[in-house]
Amino acid sequence: MTDGRTTRQTPQVTPGGEPLGPPRSYGSIVWGQLKKRPSAMASLGFIVLLALSAVLAPFIGGEVPIRWVEDGEASWPIFRHLTNGEYVAMAALLLGALLPITIRLVRPGAERIGAGPVLRALAISAAVLALVAGLLFGLREPERSYGFYLERADEAESAWFPLIAYPENPGYAQLEDKEQPPSWLGWLFPDACPPGSWDHPLGTGRIGDDIFIRILYGARTALTIGFVAVGISLAIGVLLGAVSGNFGGWVDLVLMRVAEVVMSIPRLILIIIMVTVIPQRWIPPIWTVVVVLGLTGWTGTYRLMRAELLRIRGEDYMTAARALGVRTGRLLVRHAIPNGLAPILVGATFGIAGAVFLEVTLAFLGLVQTPSWGMMLNDGRQHLEYWWVWGTSGVAIFLTVFAYNLLGEGIRDAVDPRLRI
Amino acid sequence: MRTYILKRLLLMVPTLVGITLLTYAIVRLAPGDPVGAMIRMQAGNVNPRVFEKEADRIRERLGLKDYNFWGEDPERIDAVEKVLNAFYGYGRWVSHMARGDFGESMQKRTREGSKDPFDLYLERANVSVILNLIAEALIFLIAIPVGLMGARYHGRLFDRGSTVVLLGLWSVPQVLAGTLLLSLLARGGIGLEWFPYANLHGADPDAMGWGTWFVDTLWHATLPVACLVYGGLAYLAKLGRASLLENLRADYVRTARSKGLPESRVVYHHALRNSLLPMITTMVMMLPMLLGGSVVVERIFSLPGMGDLIVGAAMQRDLAVIMFGTLVYGTLTLVSLLLADILYAWADPRIRYD
Repeated sequence: MTDGRTTRQTPQVTPGGEPLGPPRSYGSIVWGQLKKRPSAMASLGFIVLLALSAVLAPFIGGEVPIRWVEDGEASWPIFRHLTNGEYVAMAALLLGALLPITIRLVRPGAERIGAGPVLRALAISAAVLALVAGLLFGLREPERSYGFYLERADEAESAWFPLIAYPENPGYAQLEDKEQPPSWLGWLFPDACPPGSWDHPLGTGRIGDDIFIRILYGARTALTIGFVAVGISLAIGVLLGAVSGNFGGWVDLVLMRVAEVVMSIPRLILIIIMVTVIPQRWIPPIWTVVVVLGLTGWTGTYRLMRAELLRIRGEDYMTAARALGVRTGRLLVRHAIPNGLAPILVGATFGIAGAVFLEVTLAFLGLVQTPSWGMMLNDGRQHLEYWWVWGTSGVAIFLTVFAYNLLGEGIRDAVDPRLRI
Repeated sequence: MRTYILKRLLLMVPTLVGITLLTYAIVRLAPGDPVGAMIRMQAGNVNPRVFEKEADRIRERLGLKDYNFWGEDPERIDAVEKVLNAFYGYGRWVSHMARGDFGESMQKRTREGSKDPFDLYLERANVSVILNLIAEALIFLIAIPVGLMGARYHGRLFDRGSTVVLLGLWSVPQVLAGTLLLSLLARGGIGLEWFPYANLHGADPDAMGWGTWFVDTLWHATLPVACLVYGGLAYLAKLGRASLLENLRADYVRTARSKGLPESRVVYHHALRNSLLPMITTMVMMLPMLLGGSVVVERIFSLPGMGDLIVGAAMQRDLAVIMFGTLVYGTLTLVSLLLADILYAWADPRIRYD
């Protein structure tokens, strides 16, 4: 079957005489196609960079020093101040980066083919992540600084501050810094504004908040909304679609009606009702948005997966697996779903872009009060003269959505070689 | 085919019941007291006894009153009774609707003072319909030539350039585009002051002549329509390019070329015809957006449209208005889904629904 066994056979030869090499999985073929597209790879790089800087934001801009020496004693305050969520995100990133190694550890030599080792490695990583999260939230209470280190910066013998040493939430801090244009502008046009320092590379907002730091922390919201919401809807859509396409009959009929119901309820209205109704002390409204988006956005994936399953159901390898007596659940998870996933990735990237847009709309309607790019854009809309507030957030939204769309286009071209020349 | 359509139409009924029941239950069972909030907002602090009496009266009239089912203390209604009340209220809503009574809005009134959701939507329909119809027509008219050129000059400069530009347009949030247009091109902004900044008509539209009214409306609609067009345009042009490319590689196009037909006839007569179909069905699927899709544009340009109405109703939990909007939106979505399927089958004899 599709496990590592086939890779150990002697290399086959095509009629032309070239060695065929080990058989490749559909996923690796798509990835090979994707790698040939510079725009898609650049977008992927941009998104990875964005994710990295969102997760490592406290090291780039914030008020807690990384290393602090006072009275001859050195300490590393930032590790005491990082929140549990930040640690979990870092762990997730690390596990994701280590995934190829995990796969190899799970089954040596099997990384080229078959979904089994990949699924197992993913499950192991998820378990490790859950363990880490449980330990952190159960045992650890992060410290908070409230300007403690910034005010006493002179008393330290040595302090390594983040690149931009400025509070993330300046409710209590330097108010004389408000409404300053980007500091490099004064260097370019001395008469347009006073030549500033490099303290605020993107200027400051109305309450003295550093725009660069707001962009940095707003990236978290954008990424969370996109990834978590689309993740939820992908999981639901893939599972229901596979069941619906595989079994057909009345299961299919009922699930199809459910999908129609979900599709026909105006999404924005549902989100507005949920956000206004669920008390903010239960869960922050941004998570309500994420959950509602995830629970209502699966219909497209569902229809795609169902159509894929209708095709895959009749393939030879499915018949072979069935003849070997593979149970239905295993048949779907190990053989059918992995082969239908590639087209769904296209919808997923576009879905992430759509989720970022939706957050902007909700911020525009004044429904979500989370630090985000959408909120910056709307703050800025009220005061157009401070163009660096709405301009930078607008550019950030545009670039991120553009990157997702380019990546989605790249994946679509890679998946569907008919449109390629 | 007739059986298929009939079957789909019949299946629409349970789906519509599902949609409305789900929405009704969510609005009704959610914690909070929209009626009380409305009274407090309108009358300030009221004597608690008067307040309770007044709230009860309004709840009874709007069909929001919770009844005791097992005859106990009327102050205490448990969870099961709440669910039963929601079902009872839903049944009441359905039976009233069957008689043409859509309930009444909690707060919104038309200019004549009617509280009927139907009148409320009707009053605001003209703004949404005018904006969206102009926008859809423009999208279609611009997307076809752009997609066509992209496919014909595949891989050349125009194709590469237009692909990037379209993808870029698609990535601009409507809030940003609207803000930019408003501040740069409208009166009271910081740039050219060419266009009005609010409303769909100038002062006193009834007194204008037909021609003046037309020009005035177009002038007012320019910026909002531009804001509505660019995203859909990008999407549709990309779709048109992809589908034309696929058709240009099809066997029948090769046959047509090998027969010696001139290239223009091959493209315009054979390939384009077949590529229009997915574009048209996509436009059909955009139909439900008429109702709530333009809320951002309506708010930015201060236009009293249906999107503004339905979003406002959702925020105040104005049940009758939400339910009417959901019903119309759901029906539109289901009809457009069916219409798209029928269009496909009608235009492409290979597709059969049995």
